[in-house]
Amino acid sequence: MSSPEPHASPAPPAPGVIAVAMRGITKRFPGVLANDDVSFEVASGEVHALLGENGAGKTTLMNILTGLYRPEEGEIEVGGKVVELASPRDAITAGIGMVHQHFRLVDTLSVSENVVLGSRTEPFLLNRASRTREVELISEALHMPVDPDAKIWQLSVGEQQRVEIMKAVRSGSQVLILDEPTAVLTPQEARQLFRTIRVMAAEGHSVIVITHKLHEVLEVSDRVTVLRGGRSIATVDTAGATTESLAALMVGRDIDVARRRESTSAIGGVVLDVEGITAAGDRGGNALKSVSLSVRAGEVLGIAGVAGNGQRELAEAVTGMRDLSAGSVSVAGKPLKTGDPRAAITAGIAHVPEDRMHTGVAPSLSIASNIALKSYRTEAVGPFLRLGLIRKRAQEMIERYDVKTPGPGTAARSLSGGNLQKVVLAREFSGEPRVLVAAAPTRGLDVGAIETVHGYLREAADRQVAVLLISEDLDEVMMLSDRIVVMYEGAVAGEVDPRTATVEEIGLLMAGVTGEPTGSEP
Amino acid sequence: MNSSIVVVVLASAVAYGTPLLYAALGELLAERSGVLNLGVEGMMLVGAVMGFLAVQKIDGAKGVVLPLAVAVAALAGAVAALVLAFLVITLRANQIVAGLALTILCGAAGLSSYIANDFELATDPARYSFEEVNAFGLQDLPVVGPVLFGQTWLVYASWVCVVLVGLYLSRTRPGLNVRAIGEAPAAADAMGISVTKYRYLHTIAGGAFAGVGGACFSLALTPLWVDGLTGGTGWIAIALVIFAFWRADLCLVGAYVFGAFSALPLILQAKGYTVTPQLFQALPYVMTIVVLVIVSSGIGRRRLGAPASLGVPYVREER
Amino acid sequence: MSLPRVRIEKRLEQRRFLMVAVPLGSLVVAHIAIAILLVATGHPPVATFRRLFDAAYIADGALTNSLIAATPLAFTGLAAAVAFRMKLFNIGAEGQLYFGAIGASGIAILLAGQSTPVLIVAMIVGGAVLGAAWGAIPGLLRAFLRTNEIITSLMLNYVAALVLNYLIFDSLSYWRDTSATGLVFPQGKPLVDAATWPVTTIGSVAIPFGFLVAAAVAFVVWVLYTRTRFGFEAQVIGDSPRAARYAGMRTRRKIVAIMCLSGAIAGIGGASQMGDFRHVLDARGLQQANYGYTGIVVAALARYNPFAVVFAAFLLGGLQNAGYTLQSAEFPSGLVGVMQGMILFAMLGGELLVQYRISLPRPVRHVRPQTESAS
Repeated sequence: MSSPEPHASPAPPAPGVIAVAMRGITKRFPGVLANDDVSFEVASGEVHALLGENGAGKTTLMNILTGLYRPEEGEIEVGGKVVELASPRDAITAGIGMVHQHFRLVDTLSVSENVVLGSRTEPFLLNRASRTREVELISEALHMPVDPDAKIWQLSVGEQQRVEIMKAVRSGSQVLILDEPTAVLTPQEARQLFRTIRVMAAEGHSVIVITHKLHEVLEVSDRVTVLRGGRSIATVDTAGATTESLAALMVGRDIDVARRRESTSAIGGVVLDVEGITAAGDRGGNALKSVSLSVRAGEVLGIAGVAGNGQRELAEAVTGMRDLSAGSVSVAGKPLKTGDPRAAITAGIAHVPEDRMHTGVAPSLSIASNIALKSYRTEAVGPFLRLGLIRKRAQEMIERYDVKTPGPGTAARSLSGGNLQKVVLAREFSGEPRVLVAAAPTRGLDVGAIETVHGYLREAADRQVAVLLISEDLDEVMMLSDRIVVMYEGAVAGEVDPRTATVEEIGLLMAGVTGEPTGSEP
Repeated sequence: MNSSIVVVVLASAVAYGTPLLYAALGELLAERSGVLNLGVEGMMLVGAVMGFLAVQKIDGAKGVVLPLAVAVAALAGAVAALVLAFLVITLRANQIVAGLALTILCGAAGLSSYIANDFELATDPARYSFEEVNAFGLQDLPVVGPVLFGQTWLVYASWVCVVLVGLYLSRTRPGLNVRAIGEAPAAADAMGISVTKYRYLHTIAGGAFAGVGGACFSLALTPLWVDGLTGGTGWIAIALVIFAFWRADLCLVGAYVFGAFSALPLILQAKGYTVTPQLFQALPYVMTIVVLVIVSSGIGRRRLGAPASLGVPYVREER
Repeated sequence: MSLPRVRIEKRLEQRRFLMVAVPLGSLVVAHIAIAILLVATGHPPVATFRRLFDAAYIADGALTNSLIAATPLAFTGLAAAVAFRMKLFNIGAEGQLYFGAIGASGIAILLAGQSTPVLIVAMIVGGAVLGAAWGAIPGLLRAFLRTNEIITSLMLNYVAALVLNYLIFDSLSYWRDTSATGLVFPQGKPLVDAATWPVTTIGSVAIPFGFLVAAAVAFVVWVLYTRTRFGFEAQVIGDSPRAARYAGMRTRRKIVAIMCLSGAIAGIGGASQMGDFRHVLDARGLQQANYGYTGIVVAALARYNPFAVVFAAFLLGGLQNAGYTLQSAEFPSGLVGVMQGMILFAMLGGELLVQYRISLPRPVRHVRPQTESAS
């Protein structure tokens, strides 16, 4: 029953005793207040869900708890004593372990080797038999079957996650944090995970589950803390909560209807037609499952949903950066060659990518070069670039879009987020596109820059461009879109009209609830 | 008559494959930790020259001076490797350019030549050198005798090293750690393993082995000093590591195979076949390319492959 | 053990001043280090440097000899620079040069009756084509099979050397001199006099035609990289392959093209060896010279800028020349290699200053309510 780790780990406190508490935590990053006086505590033997949308501050809070960041204000208590967590090692020593979304496993080593990696207590001469026995013990205790000798690359994602959990348990973690654990699991694997979580809680561990999925919260947690906008809104007992009450807490502020500008553009015919596209994800499995949608000229179609539900892959599929295994993308009736960015560009699809620094620009090259990144081909004279023209246009763009920079020759990487995005937009608009795919266009920008970008998106719609807006910021989507499609787990969960939809309705769709409002598993 | 040529050639393949084997073992250790050491040739040469210097200048009995000279050679290689390690690990310099620079600095028109000249090493043969040893008295067995049991101590020591390195990597805790670092330094770092420390240690160890490899030339094979004595063996060692799928035991096999392939044409010619020697000599290189292609493709990579972080400096992302 | 956490962060902007100061500074640092070595081994540093400089540039015929040494280095340096700039680590210039020599000498033998201008053009083309072909192999493997070009190009150097040996020593190939002496002492067919490339004499300095060709190639490369679509795409791919794909660029084709270009330049270097200097396919001599590897050092010193490559080739060529001329009992041999290595080391170390900013940890303030902290 107790952890097989031979070195002394503190005996788990009796159930009901506070295992870990975070009080008054404030964390600032340049331009953003990630955590604002957040307090949060978990008892031993408790499963506690941390619920919130992206940007609510959940991951930052947990990164503080695991010693990756240091808060500006506030303190952390473990087992009743205040602790200083200056590094991940400190957190591990304090008994806090985290299972990340991106696993830290070595592909070519076996399960048992990964589990004992870095351990100071293993003997110099490795003993495979004892390692195997240890892994078997843990996996039995937690009802997580896994083959100790399998290499990581041979395992499914769900099995890999089990190895991560085993690593945390073995290093003596009393407090286990799971970051969006079911994001990469099938429903069956998720169910198995919940069983494991229950077992660990029964043994006295404290389990914190970071999630945005309401049905999970209801299924596995004892209490739930809701974060919104960097603040902790409420902590409630799961027993008394419903999906609606949680959704309201998670998402619920009134959208300022007055801020929404009705689009002044006339809406024309269908320009972008996506039919039944299915595409594989990076970690195996399908990131997109037979998604269909269409966007008309002058229309803004917003794709809402919590990040990680296929939005990024949708943007990549439409712009040719990801191969499709089924389905088609057409512009003005003509189907595009899939998986070919050039075909998309030629067909008039402009793309403002999520990762503007590493995909949207070549960071070491000048602004002028980046503005010409797609147009240099058509503006050339034979093999030669028209450098004078490129520079002149860059200067025009800098002025028109008010980019703060010493000049067109400056390297792109020296620009601030907002200015960089302006450069990207300038470039994408200058090609007179028919379709604009904007993925997370205002992520990380300050208020002024956000306003500016919104202005450009509306202007595009006014000019009869079909705009596909993909964003985790529900406010933004509600404000700009003519229609909203909500994505969940790679498929379209539903479509709503932003003028009439309620926040609850959208919140439920975002959290995967499409049926009755009592939160039963779809 | 014919069989004795075979025997001589095979015995030579083992003898000449030994410096290659040492260098390859060293390169193997460095690469397993993620460092591509292109300075092997230079390290071999400094090892060779310093070992030779030691033999000429240190007074004492053969049994004392020779092992000491080997130790000096290893030390010289290690120091050279330390310089490289500093450049590529701490200063994050480009590993290819740095390795080449080291080879040029230590190499045939460089430091090794400088030292040889200053100490006038080219004039006399080595005072002591490793000679063939009749191991267990089995040297007289047909074929196997001279090939396996009539070699120098350096050869036998190399076999021990192969076993030790192989066991180290597969059966010890630090060996596990270094394999993790080569494959996924971020994961290893997250588990509290010091990537920097391991890379330094393994690169330096690699240099030490290369130094011993160089000593094989100057203290055993051609116990004279000639400029550029190692003749490119260090470069071949780099190929050998790939050819051996980054495994110590296959390094042994590969070293002798490479050696044999150079010698094979002679056998065939002696038997009367007109054969183009270059065809055989080219085979190891071509085979290395083929191996590399297989290992880099999707299927091969996971099962057989290069340490994923090979050649890439590790930077921990910090906020 | 806890060291103060010194943070090394990539600089956002690379200060112009550093980009010149660092190479110069590293030259100074290297000289100081070598001076220390000289003193430690009983040689007079200043006098040694003076003799080197003199033998490289001042003495009678020194400049000419330095140019002779510099010419092949300019070619291999350009070949390396073209590829390394795009993060394609082609270390096969050595083998590509050999094949260039094979191509050029083969054509020169074939067209033995033609006039000099025709021969020059033919030799350059022949050298470039074969060099490009040899460079295409690692390029294709890298582009389509994702095989690391460092090792493949290195291996192919050895194969190229073996080809040379085969042609001259172990066969009666087209390249082999089959006269009476040629059969006994293996060597290549001597090229006709018309295949000798002209020399431009300015004052007392004789500039080999190959050097002028190298300068022209440097110019072409510069134009290519800064003014053409090809160069633009190469820049983007080298900086961010993801951005290149995003922009619809055909990455794989570009990789092969750059490797071919690199090989072609090295190949012309081989042609120059035939036309300017050796006039015969000198298998042994070419292999001993190590032009390909030294060229990489030249390229690194020049920070991959084509014009700087020619200049750096001139510097290193002077060094090589001096080292060769001064070979004697009193002069420390091997000094050349040590100097080259030291200069490069100093440069590499200096790179850190250009690319990264070193900052000391900023103190973290803990604003804590009344309670004392207990660790």
